[in-house]
Amino acid sequence: MAKKKWFASMIALIMALSMIVTACSGKKEAAESSGEQPASTGTAGSNTGEQPPDKVTFRIFNGVAGEKDVNTNETTIGKMLEDQTGVNFKIEHLVGDLNTKIGTMVAANEYPDVIIPDAGINQLLDAGAFIDLTDLIEKYGPNIKRVYEPYFNLMKAEDGGIYFLPFSTVVNGYIPDPNINQGAFWVQRRVLEWAGYPKINKVDDYFKLIEDFIKAHPNENLTGFVTLTHDWRFFATTNVPNHLAGYPNDGEVMVDMQTHEAKIYAGTDYEKRWFKLLNEINAKGLFDKSSFVDNYDQYIAKLTSHKVLGFFDYGWQIGSAQNALRDAAKTDPSQDGYRYFPLPVTFDGGKDQYLDPPGFVNNRGFGITVSAKDPVRIIQFVDNLLKEENQILVKWGVEGETYLKDENGRMYRTQEMIDKMNQKFLEDYGFTVFDWDWPQYGTNSTLADGNAASPGLQPEVFQLSLTEADKKILSAYGVKTYAEMFAPPDNRPWFPAWGIQKEQGSPPQIFEARKTELQRKYIPELVLSDPAKFEDVWTKYTTELNKLDIAGYQQWYTERIKEVVAKAQGK
Amino acid sequence: MENNLAYTEPSAAGMSKPAGWKRFFRQLVQQRALVVMSVPFVVWLFVFKYLPLWGWTIAFQDYKPAKGFWDQKWVGFQHFEFLFGDERFLRVLRNTLVMSSLNLVLGFVTAITLALLLNEVRQLVFKRVVQTISYLPHFISWVVAAGIIQAVLATDGIVNDLLMWLGLLDDEVLFLGVGHWFWGIFGASIVWKDLGWNTIVYLAAMTMIDPAQYEAAEMDGAGRFKKMWHITLPGIKPVIIVLLIMNVGYLLESGFEPQYLLGNGMNIDYSENLDIFVLKYGINMGNFSLSVAASMFKTVVSFILLFAANHIAKRLGEARLY
Repeated sequence: MAKKKWFASMIALIMALSMIVTACSGKKEAAESSGEQPASTGTAGSNTGEQPPDKVTFRIFNGVAGEKDVNTNETTIGKMLEDQTGVNFKIEHLVGDLNTKIGTMVAANEYPDVIIPDAGINQLLDAGAFIDLTDLIEKYGPNIKRVYEPYFNLMKAEDGGIYFLPFSTVVNGYIPDPNINQGAFWVQRRVLEWAGYPKINKVDDYFKLIEDFIKAHPNENLTGFVTLTHDWRFFATTNVPNHLAGYPNDGEVMVDMQTHEAKIYAGTDYEKRWFKLLNEINAKGLFDKSSFVDNYDQYIAKLTSHKVLGFFDYGWQIGSAQNALRDAAKTDPSQDGYRYFPLPVTFDGGKDQYLDPPGFVNNRGFGITVSAKDPVRIIQFVDNLLKEENQILVKWGVEGETYLKDENGRMYRTQEMIDKMNQKFLEDYGFTVFDWDWPQYGTNSTLADGNAASPGLQPEVFQLSLTEADKKILSAYGVKTYAEMFAPPDNRPWFPAWGIQKEQGSPPQIFEARKTELQRKYIPELVLSDPAKFEDVWTKYTTELNKLDIAGYQQWYTERIKEVVAKAQGK
Repeated sequence: MENNLAYTEPSAAGMSKPAGWKRFFRQLVQQRALVVMSVPFVVWLFVFKYLPLWGWTIAFQDYKPAKGFWDQKWVGFQHFEFLFGDERFLRVLRNTLVMSSLNLVLGFVTAITLALLLNEVRQLVFKRVVQTISYLPHFISWVVAAGIIQAVLATDGIVNDLLMWLGLLDDEVLFLGVGHWFWGIFGASIVWKDLGWNTIVYLAAMTMIDPAQYEAAEMDGAGRFKKMWHITLPGIKPVIIVLLIMNVGYLLESGFEPQYLLGNGMNIDYSENLDIFVLKYGINMGNFSLSVAASMFKTVVSFILLFAANHIAKRLGEARLY
């Protein structure tokens, strides 16, 4: 008995001790981290002098998947910025589903120091995850102010606070992108060459060209047309009627230029016309049925397989496929025919609006969270990053290494420099790390001296980046850049309408979820069904669609757009 | 110890109610070692299984994560109304029930059959090989398994190629694009994946059967099938029934990964189950309240099913959970 008692009390003692130990260690940690904060803020405040600032690492979560997780100071540019500010960022990219990941953070109320939440921003704003930057910018951000001040009106949330810094500011003058990063109907270059570079701007001509090419090459097992439907990228399929009707990518709506009235195009004659066309294409055996079950990787693999002749997509979604094809064509010019060329296709050959007008995307951005250890250091880093010389550093690199200046002060790159900039070099140097996801001079900005802020937009660089084959096909169409194939964008102050924030779980958001669900169900049926049954399916689809609150959604959008227009004009 | 027990027994027998309490405490003191040993587990159970029930309050709020409990907006049964009022709710519920019933029936029938057959195999090497091969798919994660299934069923996959070669098909078929085939594909996938794994518990139960019974049956002239039917099956019946009762409780859990990974727009009418519905309209939209409302519904239904199954088993005089 005595022995047993001794054993029981030992166990009790051990348990009690372990509890005390864990409790104490928890407290100690808390004390340590809270002690750290004032100290580092103090040094940050005084580091305007020549005293090198102490080093600190912040954590960033980036809601974009498929990039490498790095420490910024492991890259050449990041190292220089660390030398200036003492700040290093450990970047973690998304793995898996964005909403789930952010939902988990919100539920735990624990965040990395900085979040770049991509499409998940509303959830974080709703949860109050971001701190108000207004005072910080006022105190520590003269350069932030310089870049963002023209947009302050648009950036302010309902309560007047600024919770994140968007990416698409235009500083100084506006420079158009010579490449096509936006939507277009793409076709293999060999098809155009075979047909003698015809002018294609009607969708019927586009499909006729593909059909003829396949007829002329019957034994190559070619696919006429594929479409991307995977997950959130589904809009590459649903947005098409909008573009064919001559509207830019405003999301789910087409906005009238005069009245600013927003109307959805799902269920309209535009949509019917487009899917009827696809239905016919499918009946002819030109359409790839697996488009509706393939995922994004399979889709990209198909684009690089040389077998797919055409598709509609946004340039930024097919970058990896295009790069692979371009690299292959560089080593073996005979492969150039497998690269894709963008065409401004509309229903009746009218004016296209594929190119994005200068716009301000206000639902993507860089926000400092409530869990951030030291927001002041972060905002100082951002301010430092937005200095003109550092914008040159992150976009152009170092003079003599990655760019040169001629006697007129025009910046350019030599062929040799361009050739060495493969993906690995871009990653190691830090260009990929600092490209889009940081507060920056937006892509279409210019520097104070008139050079383009982004090297890719500098005409000198663009011309050098063209291969012989590129020049040949461009001159066949009588243009100097790909963008010249398209009509210049009209001015739309609300653009892009999809950039207007929708509240979590609000009726417009639920409407979009339901509408997309209906489209996911009926679009495959519309395209794959027997042409004779098309009308039946269409009627079923529109009946279901009309049960949703379309009028309410359109009204909501029209009101928001009018607000944005008023704000933009009232600044 | 034994003496003590014997000593208390007679005195307890003749006592009235308050004495019953006395007896309870006396036994408590006597069995203090056992009681102390069980305390951590009771605490664990309470902390991890009962405290979270507090979170059910979220279902009645317009829950915003960063706010404190008293700052939440209370909305009554609004989220339940949204859930039950949605026209798709019935469809989603049907899919859930059909798929979990499929899972239940196929899981039981195939696993018991395979276990019976494996039990009869005398060639030990062959038995081990079959077991290992049939276990293997269980250890593949659903993401990979779904990839394999998609590849097999693709328009240029092996199934299409085979059927075309045999002349049974004129044109490739998008198997995952035909809605009403989804349940079949789902059933086949789960059988392929979990068949071997499910046999383990039955094989274990079979080893508990007294070999003397088989010998006696053999003496009476029973053949292999007779022995299977009259000895092996009755021998594992208690295990089957307990497992059945437990699984019936999970009838609203038809799984998430296979439906999520194999589902697409074309088969959504058949593939979307309750969990996916909740993911879409609850978690993806930051509407945690709806998710909680749905899980409350699931818990209540599971509870009823579990009690009903147990009650039926009791009525039939079979083994049961409690």
